[in-house]
This record gives sequence, structure tokens and C-alpha cells, in this order.
Amino acid sequence: MLILSVESSCDETAVALVEDGRRVLTDQIFSQADLHAVYGGVVPEIAARSHLEVISILAERALIAAGVTRADIDAVACTYAPGLIGAVLVGVNFAKSAALALGVPLIPVHHIRGHIAANYLAYPELEPPFLCLAISGGNTMLVDVRDYTDMRILGQTRDDAAGECFDKSARVMGLGYPGGKPIDDLSRQGDDGRYDLPRPYVGQNPYDMSFSGLKTAVINIAHHCEQTGEELDKAGLAASLCRAVSESLVGRTMAAAGELGYDKIAVAGGVAANSRIRGDFEAACQKAGAKLFIPPLKLCGDNGAMIGAQGYYEFLAGHTADSSLNAYASMAL
Amino acid sequence: MLMLALESSAKAASAAVFEDGKLLGVTVENSGLTHSRTLLPMAEDLLRNLDKTVRDIGVVAVAHGPGSFTGLRIGMAEAKGLCWALQIPAVGVSTLEAMAFGGPDMDGTMLCCAMDARRGQVYNALFTVEGGRPRRLTEDRAISIAELEPELLAEKKPWVLLGDGAELCYNTLDRGRLALHLAPEPLRLQNARGVGLAALEREPRPVDELLPVYLRLSQAERERQSHLAK
Ligand SMILES: [Zn+2]
Repeated sequence: MLILSVESSCDETAVALVEDGRRVLTDQIFSQADLHAVYGGVVPEIAARSHLEVISILAERALIAAGVTRADIDAVACTYAPGLIGAVLVGVNFAKSAALALGVPLIPVHHIRGHIAANYLAYPELEPPFLCLAISGGNTMLVDVRDYTDMRILGQTRDDAAGECFDKSARVMGLGYPGGKPIDDLSRQGDDGRYDLPRPYVGQNPYDMSFSGLKTAVINIAHHCEQTGEELDKAGLAASLCRAVSESLVGRTMAAAGELGYDKIAVAGGVAANSRIRGDFEAACQKAGAKLFIPPLKLCGDNGAMIGAQGYYEFLAGHTADSSLNAYASMAL
Repeated sequence: MLMLALESSAKAASAAVFEDGKLLGVTVENSGLTHSRTLLPMAEDLLRNLDKTVRDIGVVAVAHGPGSFTGLRIGMAEAKGLCWALQIPAVGVSTLEAMAFGGPDMDGTMLCCAMDARRGQVYNALFTVEGGRPRRLTEDRAISIAELEPELLAEKKPWVLLGDGAELCYNTLDRGRLALHLAPEPLRLQNARGVGLAALEREPRPVDELLPVYLRLSQAERERQSHLAK
């Protein structure tokens, strides 16, 4: 089954062709990061405008790159939630009219489910159930993936997403936007014990997380140095930050895996590209005797293929929509 | 050839179908629901009731702005999806021009098309009717009503006001010096019939060239520009 999949929830426009949820024929991604860089973050209206400009061009490129024709497409999948509403609307409305015109089913896909499904593309042997930590600029959640379309959130951030914490920290450190990569690069030359940063525990649920305190602590350190003229050890701060975020995430994930008896642990989302987090997970899983699944870097960020992967399983579960499908800024997993 | 026309630039959603330049049907819905939920099902219904299918469509016409940014994008993303999948061209038409094409068509009528653009402005263009069709007198622009007034005064004939900004203009402009008429209600607001009529005058283009005309930068861009200008 060949699925044309569309992703437009934030600042990447992507159109992919995926076969049977596991094989990527092509994934055409246009990143708008340069458009937003001067604003220090994603501007929703600029994102929505850009999606509309490129979407049909990417769809055409996808066909050419995969060497298939429109008649080969069996279904159209799209991210319909969550995301920047103006941005998601572009992909949803393009996808549903394309599905209608092609005479094929339309499959709405939850963006975070898509991130989790990126693991199916990277690991053909991976099947639910497993535990997945989904970490990105907009979301941070620990998910019990009981089946392809049956998921339960074990815990999530109470405030900022982990990626947001990196972006805001990078901004105050003058590293530009997006902040994940420059912080990661810088952290490799730094001492991760240089600054003492908080690792907050929140409320009743041990799997819930919080990153706003961590972000504030980084901002305070930077401002303190600015005011006193003390030199900021940027590499040290980056390393300390990566360590604090990683310890917040890895500890909870391993505890949840122990409690639920999972020996398969997956990580998904843009923040899964962070080398400290990857390394810490590798070590923790090895110690616990668990198998770790982390997609390669290109499947961690937003892409179209992950929507096609999850779309396939949503289709098998009978989750299709008609041309009244709407887009939503937020949506339960 | 069948043409589907879409209008989603303001509160109402509208779809129309033309065959060889003749209007077969038009639907307008002002339910207040998002166009993302209503517009495509309306088009689907209309085609079904006309005993046509989506695959019969040979060209898609759509209002490309100005108007609600999100509303425009919903209509245009749908137009792009249809055109890309069917491998057919598209025609983007000005929302204001579509309004004029959908308005009164007696020769000599002066048309002032206006949409409420907020921040003290209207999106506006002026037309005169010649040979039964509107002829453009100005480009589409975002303009304050105070700036618009002298332009209207320069013309001695009465003006017919069209669009969701018509009442705003009617109530704000100096009616002691200007002869103003609100267009009859069924003709006042833009709909897909006007989009189709305007599109019939234009050459269809490849869908990738179909782009919105917002007439306004995003707020972030405006703020950045004024910041840089300081
Ligand atoms: Zn994402």
C-alpha cells in the first residue's frame, strides 16, 4: 500500500511516499528554519505562508523522486494535530482535496504518533508494545505504545517542552535559532559539572516533567554574568544543560520501563538528535539489558515519512476521514 | 469544460461550478464554522447534485486575496490539492475583483469594493462597469477610509459599495458630499460566482504559480521592519 503523506505542523513542509508503513520511497522536506532565524523562533504566520508556497512543488518532486505516478497512490495521510493551527491547516486542506481528487482514502495522523512511528522506518523489526519518549520543540511525553494505534501517556511536561528549553537557552547564550544543534555542538567541549542546574520533580506523577525552571536557571546564569562582567563559560553551560535535560528524561524513562516491565525503549522527536541524550540512553539501556531504538537524525526532526508510517497503521485500524476533516492546534494522543 | 470556483476570503464559504463559461450552480454557507470543515464538502455536494464528479473539473478558480489570511489559505490549499492531483491548471483572482464581477453589471455603474482590513483600513479597489463587465480603476490596496474619500469625490457619479466593508464605508464616508448606495444584499458580499466570472477573463496557470496576495506583511515582519527603520 503506497501512501502519500503530508506534514506541515511547524516549520518544515514535507511530502513523502511510504510503502506499507515501513519503506520510504522519498521524503521531500523543505525547512523554513532560515525564514524564522531572524525572529529567534518560529513565527506562525510566516510558517503558514511558506507551507502554502511550496506544498504542491514538494508533492510533484516526491512523485518524480519515487518514480511513481498518481495512479499508484493508494491513500493520502496528513498531520491534522497538534501544531501551529495556520500551518497544519495548509497540509490538511491540501491533503484532503488531493485525496478527494485521486479518489483514495484520507488518513488523519496525530503528529506525535508520527514521531513515534519514525522508529518503524528505522527499525523494521520493531513492533509494539514498547515504551517511547517523544521529545520535540512542542512536546515532551512518555508514552506506553500498547499497539500501533493504542497509546497511553504515562507522563509529560507540565510546562515547556524539552526542545523549547534548548531554544530559549540558546537564544540567551547568543547561539541563534534553532538552538538544539549549536548547544549540542558546544556542549561537547564543556564540563557538564560546571554549573549547578535544577532537575525538578513535579506533583504526584513521577513521570511528569518540567523544564521551565531549568530554562529560567540558564537565563539567570547568563544574565548574572552579563551584569557582573564575569565571563560566561558557554561550553560549560551547554554541557550542564544537556546533562540536566538528559538526566530528567533518561531517569524517568528507565523507571517507567522497569515498572511496566518493558525491555524495548524508543526515543522520538527532534530532541532525540541530541548526542548527550542519545549517549545516556545507550548506556542506561545497556545497563538495564533493554533494547534501545532511536531513529537516525534525519528521521528525528519533522518529516513526511513518519506520517506515512503511522498513517498506514491508522488506515489498518480503520481511522480514515472525509473532506470535512479539520486541523487542530491540540489533540489528545 | 468544467470550472470549480472557491471563495473563502471572509466569513462565508462559497463554491460554484461553471460549464463552458455558464454558471451551473453556486452554494454559499455562512454557518460560522471554519472553512476547513465546510468548503470542500460544499464543493463535493454541489458537484454531486449537478451529476458531476471531481474528476470532471478542468480548472479551479480561487480568490487569492486580499482577505482573512487563514481563510485564503484554506481555499488556496484546497485549490492546490485538487489541481495537483488532477493535473489541471488554476486561476487565482483578486477577491475585490471577484466582488466586482459578482456585483451590479449595468454600464456606467461605479463600484467601490471594500473589505474590513482592521487597523483603520479597508482592502479596496475601484471599478467602473463597461460592456457589462467591471473595468479596474485602481489596484487592490489597503487604504484608510479618509484616504479613500477624495478618490471617490473626484468622480461625480454615485458609488455602489460592495463587500463586508461596505457598511463601514457607508457609515464613515461623508454622505453629504458623496452619493453612496449599498449594493443589494444578495450582491454585496463576495461569493464563488464572482470568482468564476472573474476567472473566465484570465488565463489558467500552472498550480505551483498560484500564490496568495495578502497585501500585508505578517505582524512579525511589520514589527521587524519598523524596528530596523529606527
Ligand atoms: Zn514534531
